[in-house]
Amino acid sequence: MFISKGGRLVRRISLSVAAISCILLLAFSSIVVYQNQALSFSLYQMLPALQFSFFIDRLAAFFILIISIISLSVSIYSIGYIEHYSGDTKKNSLVSLMILFMLSMILVVASKTLFSFLFFWEIMALSSFILVMFEYEKKETRKAGIFYFIMTQLSTVFLLLAFIMIYNATGSFDIAKVSDASPFVFLFLFAGFGIKAGIIPFHKWLPYAHPASPSNISALMSGIMIKVAIYGLMRFVLFVLTPELSWGLLIFGAGVISAIFGVIYALKEHDIKRLLAYHSIENIGIILIGFGLYIIFSAYGLTQLALLGIIGALFHTMNHALFKSLLFLTAGSVVNATETKNIEEMGGLIKSMPYTALFFFIGAISISALPPFNGFVSEFMIFQAFLMSWSLASPMLEVLMIVGLTIFALTSALAAACFVKAFGITFLAAPRSEHAKHAKESSFSMLLGPAILAILCVVSGVFSYQIFSLLGYASLVPNLMIISIFLVAVYAFAFVSLRAFASNNTRIGETWGCGILSQNPRMEYTASGFSEPIVTVFKSVYKTKKTNHRTFFDKYQSIFREGAGEIQLFKFFEEYLYMPVARATDYISRRVSCFQRKDLDFYIACSFVTVLVLLLIMGWLA
Amino acid sequence: MNAFVQYSVLNVLFAVLVSPLFMSLIKKVKALAQGRKGPSLFQMYYNLWKLLKKEVIYSSNSSWIMRVTPYVNITVMAVAALFVPLILIPQPVYGIGNIILFLYLLSLAKFFMALSGLDAGSAFGGMGSSREMTISALIETITIVVFAALAFALKTTNLHEMFLQILESNMLFLNPVLILISISVFIVLIVETARVPVDNPETHLELTMIHEAMILEQSGKNLALMEWSHAIKQLLFMGILINILFPWGIAVALTQYSIVVSMLAFLVKASVLAVAVGLFESSCAKSRLFHLPSLFTIALFFSVITILIEVFA
Repeated sequence: MFISKGGRLVRRISLSVAAISCILLLAFSSIVVYQNQALSFSLYQMLPALQFSFFIDRLAAFFILIISIISLSVSIYSIGYIEHYSGDTKKNSLVSLMILFMLSMILVVASKTLFSFLFFWEIMALSSFILVMFEYEKKETRKAGIFYFIMTQLSTVFLLLAFIMIYNATGSFDIAKVSDASPFVFLFLFAGFGIKAGIIPFHKWLPYAHPASPSNISALMSGIMIKVAIYGLMRFVLFVLTPELSWGLLIFGAGVISAIFGVIYALKEHDIKRLLAYHSIENIGIILIGFGLYIIFSAYGLTQLALLGIIGALFHTMNHALFKSLLFLTAGSVVNATETKNIEEMGGLIKSMPYTALFFFIGAISISALPPFNGFVSEFMIFQAFLMSWSLASPMLEVLMIVGLTIFALTSALAAACFVKAFGITFLAAPRSEHAKHAKESSFSMLLGPAILAILCVVSGVFSYQIFSLLGYASLVPNLMIISIFLVAVYAFAFVSLRAFASNNTRIGETWGCGILSQNPRMEYTASGFSEPIVTVFKSVYKTKKTNHRTFFDKYQSIFREGAGEIQLFKFFEEYLYMPVARATDYISRRVSCFQRKDLDFYIACSFVTVLVLLLIMGWLA
Repeated sequence: MNAFVQYSVLNVLFAVLVSPLFMSLIKKVKALAQGRKGPSLFQMYYNLWKLLKKEVIYSSNSSWIMRVTPYVNITVMAVAALFVPLILIPQPVYGIGNIILFLYLLSLAKFFMALSGLDAGSAFGGMGSSREMTISALIETITIVVFAALAFALKTTNLHEMFLQILESNMLFLNPVLILISISVFIVLIVETARVPVDNPETHLELTMIHEAMILEQSGKNLALMEWSHAIKQLLFMGILINILFPWGIAVALTQYSIVVSMLAFLVKASVLAVAVGLFESSCAKSRLFHLPSLFTIALFFSVITILIEVFA
């Protein structure tokens, strides 16, 4: 096989070529975004009705821009990252599939026809499935892979149904306006794209697939693949169908639920990649809140607020791609260096991996929506849309807005708490395990990839006002550059004046330990300890069960003999949604499997009866 | 542009220089309420001066997070002081004065402070950070709803415009909504400045502590900066409450006479508020951490009521 040949150099060259083509795509798509002119071309005609043709307008170019930035940095990162795996065949197949995966995402976004959209969508699904299964030797990876495969195929089935209905309504495979589509088209599209984007309750594949797959693949899947689903939803709702108020409410509601539950589940996670996966669910929720607000406000003719909603959603799409890929890549470096995904066994990495720590820190500030970085700007726009909704005509919707605002604010504050935990426990204090003690800084390419994203996180936040002015939306955001100048100036002033006028003596001492002579890492605050108050406040959501049983030597229960305690977290969606469906499927298939005999006559009889029944139904319908 | 620079310098310097006074004033009121003599009104200035002259001790576990946090905190508070007009209401420019930006700047300071609590690896710091982030997650939500109520009542999201509107329209007695909101803002003030019943600013080594635990490992000039920025934060929330309830006296144009009047007026108004805070603290007992959400719910209740009044009126 071609794949088994070639060593490190070949992989290096192919990844560099991928990176260079990403730069070219980046230049091309930013020109289209800036000039706002649509392009269209046809590539290959398979059958008269089925052709691969492409169409790129501002929306598509914007998503291609995102995909090419992330692909660029992931390609650079992968040069170093894949060398941690063993076996040339495996490494080569990872590189080739990864590039196929990136390409398929770009082509989905650029598709002009339903056919090519679905074709590349399926390529994207299959290549990502194989990439998730990369470490197939592990049991949990196989479970995650099958979970992902079922969910992603379910998504394709819903899309296929919706596309057939669109085709029936228009008679062509073009992605173009449909005048009178049935509401089922929207519902199917929403379910199809929702599964891929990880909207609650279809989210379960994310926390399984991300910890199982290699980190560069997690960055691609969480950074851009779920954004392709957002693109699909926006493209079809805005350009193919005509949005209605009730759809806006559905999208808004799904967004609110995904945002708050995503972050609440993230808080209890100690597996760093699963924590990030839950944050992806949260951020998809935020994007959908913005999109839902756009539809709701448009329905009431409030164009300024609607604009805040949609630009906020789109900008958050880009920002989330930037900082989430950044976080996944740096988390991958950390996992490689410490050989564990559990943050309780990390700690102190800010000293052994200073650059990785800095990049993760920038990602953490961005995702916590703190100014002046990019995550703040997009959440700011959505907040602003909420706060200015006083002109909404319907009081009931107004009440809904307040509920949404409260939950959205809570989400954003909890995300900050979660990233204090994630950064603090992973990188600060003394190392909590032997592995963490001997961690080494990553290689150059594994720093360069995240560095690009970190710089973009800062730039797209600080200069957001200038960027939006360039695109013609100047009035939407405050001028963060001025704020940043103030921040830097005051910081410099405080630093210099204290240097000049206050004492400059410093001493290094040991952390005060209440008189204990030397502290060990076991005395540090743990991640579970950190999130315990929040888990207690939200115990009704987690359905936490705390049990303890103790035995005593005496009947007055004063001399303690032994005891045990445990905290159980209840998996609501798994217990009440996924498992019943799985059990029902299992039950039906067991019943049906009795038809499976070995003689041909029985099968022929079955086919005959089926054809007969179908004919009768057709006759009755016609 | 020029007027804005003058406003920035005046407002920030005033906030930075005056803020320690009210920390001591509240301490004094509490001491008097307990039958003690209490410290001098300038005690905090003496403390800051003392700390600035002392050496800084860093834990061997700590990293640059510990070293930059004090400067980040003082910087953020100084910049946040641009958002709350204390002596002069300027024309809003560059989106300065936006309430969301204001609140998230404060969160930035809190984010660094919570991380510095974890940085030294002490269990106290971690406990403080964990509690602080829990409380802040809840109170930030409520603060945003409170400010949303203010935005609904005054139809703007800019603090400068809000205060100008209240000042110009003499709205206090016409608009009882503002009284409802100020109850919520008072609760936010108490929580954000780590006072009884949420936190006890006097204790260092008890399990009640939140804010003090986080800065336990800070020393010397770094501790001075942390305490100073805490004082500025308190002054800013006091400034918001004063401007909602009783803005009269604040200058709208920059003349020497009006600035002096407005400074004196602010000192009087803030002293009254500080006495009120001190008396409130003296009359409460520290409540359990997990009973705090009920206090927050009161603030949420009043602001949601406000919004409902605005929506259905």
